[in-house]
Amino acid sequence: MLTRRTTLKTGLLSGLALPALSRAVRAADPIKIGMTQPLTGVVAASGNYVANGAKIAVDVLNRAGGVLGAPIQLVLEDNKSNPREAVAAVEKLVLRDRVPALIGAWSSTFTLAILPKLMEYKVPMVVETSSAARITTSGNPYVFRIAPTSEMEAIGFAELVDKYSPAIRKIDFLSVNNDFGRGATEKYGAILGAKGIPTGRVETMTPEATDLSAQLTALRQSDGDTVFVTTGVEQLTLAMRQAIEQRLNKRIVSTGGSFPDALIHQPLPGGARSDHVLFYAPWFPEQALHPELARAYTEEWNKHGWEFAGLTEGFRGYDAVLTVAEAIRLAGRAESEAIREAMWKVNIPGVNGNIRFQKEGPAGRESGQNQPNVYIVRLADGKTSLV
Amino acid sequence: MSALFGWGFVAVMAALPLAFPDPYALAVLTSAGIFIIGAISLNLLLGYTGQLSLGHAAFFGLGAYASALASLGFDVGLGFGLRLRLDPQPVFVGFLAAIVVAGLFGWLLGRLAFRIRGAYFVVVTICFAQVLRMISLNWVELTQGPMALVGIPPFALWLPGQGVVELVAKSQTYWLVLGVGVLAFLIVRQIVRSRIGRALVALRENETLARSVGIRVTHYLVIATVVSAGIAGAAGSLFAHYVRIVDPDVFLFIYTVTMVIMVITGGKGTLWGPVVGGLIFGLLPDLLRGTARPEAQWIAYGIAMILLVMFLPRGIVPAAGALFARLRPGPRAVPSGTPAREAAE
Amino acid sequence: MDQALQHLVNGTVLGGTYALLGIGLTLIFGVMRVVNFTHGELYAFGAYMAYGLVALLRLDFYLSLLLAALLGAALGAVIERVLLRPLRGADIDSVMLAMIGAALVIQNAQMWAWGGVAKLVPSPFAGTPLILGPVSVLPLRLFVFGVACALLLGFWLMLERTRAGIALRATFQDPETAALMGVRVGLVGTATFAIGSGLAAAAGALLGPVFMVSPTMGDLVGLKAFAIVILGGLGNLPGAVIGGFALGYVEEFGGGFLSTEYRDAFGFLLIILVLALRPQGLVALKERVG
Repeated sequence: MLTRRTTLKTGLLSGLALPALSRAVRAADPIKIGMTQPLTGVVAASGNYVANGAKIAVDVLNRAGGVLGAPIQLVLEDNKSNPREAVAAVEKLVLRDRVPALIGAWSSTFTLAILPKLMEYKVPMVVETSSAARITTSGNPYVFRIAPTSEMEAIGFAELVDKYSPAIRKIDFLSVNNDFGRGATEKYGAILGAKGIPTGRVETMTPEATDLSAQLTALRQSDGDTVFVTTGVEQLTLAMRQAIEQRLNKRIVSTGGSFPDALIHQPLPGGARSDHVLFYAPWFPEQALHPELARAYTEEWNKHGWEFAGLTEGFRGYDAVLTVAEAIRLAGRAESEAIREAMWKVNIPGVNGNIRFQKEGPAGRESGQNQPNVYIVRLADGKTSLV
Repeated sequence: MSALFGWGFVAVMAALPLAFPDPYALAVLTSAGIFIIGAISLNLLLGYTGQLSLGHAAFFGLGAYASALASLGFDVGLGFGLRLRLDPQPVFVGFLAAIVVAGLFGWLLGRLAFRIRGAYFVVVTICFAQVLRMISLNWVELTQGPMALVGIPPFALWLPGQGVVELVAKSQTYWLVLGVGVLAFLIVRQIVRSRIGRALVALRENETLARSVGIRVTHYLVIATVVSAGIAGAAGSLFAHYVRIVDPDVFLFIYTVTMVIMVITGGKGTLWGPVVGGLIFGLLPDLLRGTARPEAQWIAYGIAMILLVMFLPRGIVPAAGALFARLRPGPRAVPSGTPAREAAE
Repeated sequence: MDQALQHLVNGTVLGGTYALLGIGLTLIFGVMRVVNFTHGELYAFGAYMAYGLVALLRLDFYLSLLLAALLGAALGAVIERVLLRPLRGADIDSVMLAMIGAALVIQNAQMWAWGGVAKLVPSPFAGTPLILGPVSVLPLRLFVFGVACALLLGFWLMLERTRAGIALRATFQDPETAALMGVRVGLVGTATFAIGSGLAAAAGALLGPVFMVSPTMGDLVGLKAFAIVILGGLGNLPGAVIGGFALGYVEEFGGGFLSTEYRDAFGFLLIILVLALRPQGLVALKERVG
């Protein structure tokens, strides 16, 4: 019999249950995926490419019916190429937009800044670009990285180093002085050093520096024959142009997957050549492990009329969205802890190879790390070729 | 503004986390609160001494770095084989360090800059913040440069019965910032009502005259700068242990501009001006986020600043006060707009 | 020795553009007693206009540079009419705050219009440097230096030889007497601001192809303009030219021999030093301002 007391009790209980119910998404409500990228600031070029890649992945998935019968909604927050803003962006995404999973944050420095927040709010994040080793070895079980570490990159390059003639005998570094640049200097130096190729000079610059003449002049004094440049697209473009201006006359190899797209339209003069370590080479889709997937990605991208060379980084956002969507599907619900557990079961084809996570880091609190492919693309006179 | 209204406001703000426990709302308010403290400190310089100091982010940033470094510890080489080492200290030591370091630089700036005036002074203050930014960007051994100081410990208070409690919940940090804000407000109010305050107003109104009656202008300016810098440093410390990451961009001009907009809009030279201006500009970006993109918002703030300077140069609080006085029935009260009255408030 | 020579050449080329920036800013201060916080944004505006005209509208490179400078002058005139005219007579602080507001508006409008990603301006010059003995210099940079010198020369000629220039100088030295003498001070004000802004925009249009164009490029440059003007003395025209070259050399030699990282900081350190020791600037002037 419904007494006042039972009604009250039922009312209270259902009131308490409502929040729990609303956290589990009902069928037609869009499933949110949060993403933070540098959309403005010194590395905005790459951030926009990655964000665009994510957007088209969402379009492709939604056209195929979404995930768990619901459309996906990408919630994008600009981290303004700054680690503190990256933390603020994640707080907004988690507290305000209540996203169950995240993708971010491009630069290793921004990603490292976010890691404590992932532990605090218990939300998993797919790391799509950052290469610093610490990200997956510091015991954070909420981190799942699909991008290669600097070490993997260096190993991949080392396997191809014999293709160079004249051979690479001594290397120099021009690196942006943050975790990304320093990680590359350390790992490439170590891996190539183990192959008998010592490091000569290491020059650094702040992320916003536009005049690198002093660093380039200093590198000219070194007897190394190859300079490894590690920084974002904008600074890379400036470095390459100024290298000609300063008569550097050394082989240039860029690392980290950045490609100076502007130099295709305004090629460097005098037969200048440069090599670029990439993780997806859009000019050679047949080299991809899953050419049909690569083609679908490229076609969708071209529909928007975006810069073709942006495909070199857009795929990161694309693969990241595919990964999160698959984890949500496996989890059966858009809830953080379930998604985190489901990440370990993810095994899907991506634009850059297969996506599957291996355990890395201190036992009991491992992060997930993927093993992607490495390509070297040569740029000369505005044309690309595969090394 | 009657004392009752003031304390009533504080009570309402203190009760807010209990009524609205939404962590995001509290986060926004806490952030706004930290900048309000910065604005209160800037107001002492801008509003009461009349000196347009546009390097305030320098003191804020110095406080943030000092506090963060003190609580993280550091080990740097100073050249000539010297090394400076500090073991990690408790957070409240960092807080004190922030005030002291910022105050010290305030003293330096005061001694240096007050030999010059007007446009030169403004430019020197801007350059001061810029130089600090470049040092923090390049002295990587100390500040980690662009990689930022991460893992900064949160504030910890010793509470009776609970021992040392780390303040990580949004409501806890909110109350801490509110507490420090009230303290800052009271300190500034005390200064403004004292001899120092009167001397500052005298020099703001007519420096030559003040000098001629024997007021030691530079002396009082330096005092004002030190206190202003110290409070800004405290705000910086709160920032460092709340956001728990400090990078060189904390010295950017845009943060100084934000605090300046807060002070000017609210009403420079009034006690409540920075609070009103701070609440408006601290909350507006978040209230508008769905409707207007960030660039549009900043364009609006820029236009607002221009319009304010042209039509409402005293700011909102004095204008509201004048309006209020006119609406009040009874014998015509003198509108609370004359400067002498403001200082005596 | 070779390096020193290279730094000398680099510093001279850089100094030319810095001088251009400094002249515009000090002129505005000298005539109108306004600390122009929009100067850096006009620099960025010039660069963006050059980008738009050359890359998007595909106009001739040289014509685009000229147009960009003229557009900058026009924007300057607008700012003067809309903001400074009503504020004439207001205290210097209010004017500075209004200028900061205007700078916010311009920078964010450009960020909105062009997006946050940096742009590359195509130039008709070869990317390979000219080799002159131990020194190498890009043709583009030589062109920039040449144009900067031409503009400075043209400006000086205008000031000394034309009636408009005399009117400007008169207002510069004594606005009240100039007004009494029949000089239309209001018009001189607008013209001054337009010229100063046009010079800043010209500097931006010239340097756009050398570096890259981004919404915040005006921030650092605006501050450096202040450094130049303080080095030379606020309102001191020859001082601004000397200050511009001085800053160019300090940055080049300091960056080359002392520290690559603190290159940009030298200018600011210099200001602080100068203001602490010799507030009226390095170059003596009859009139003391400040």
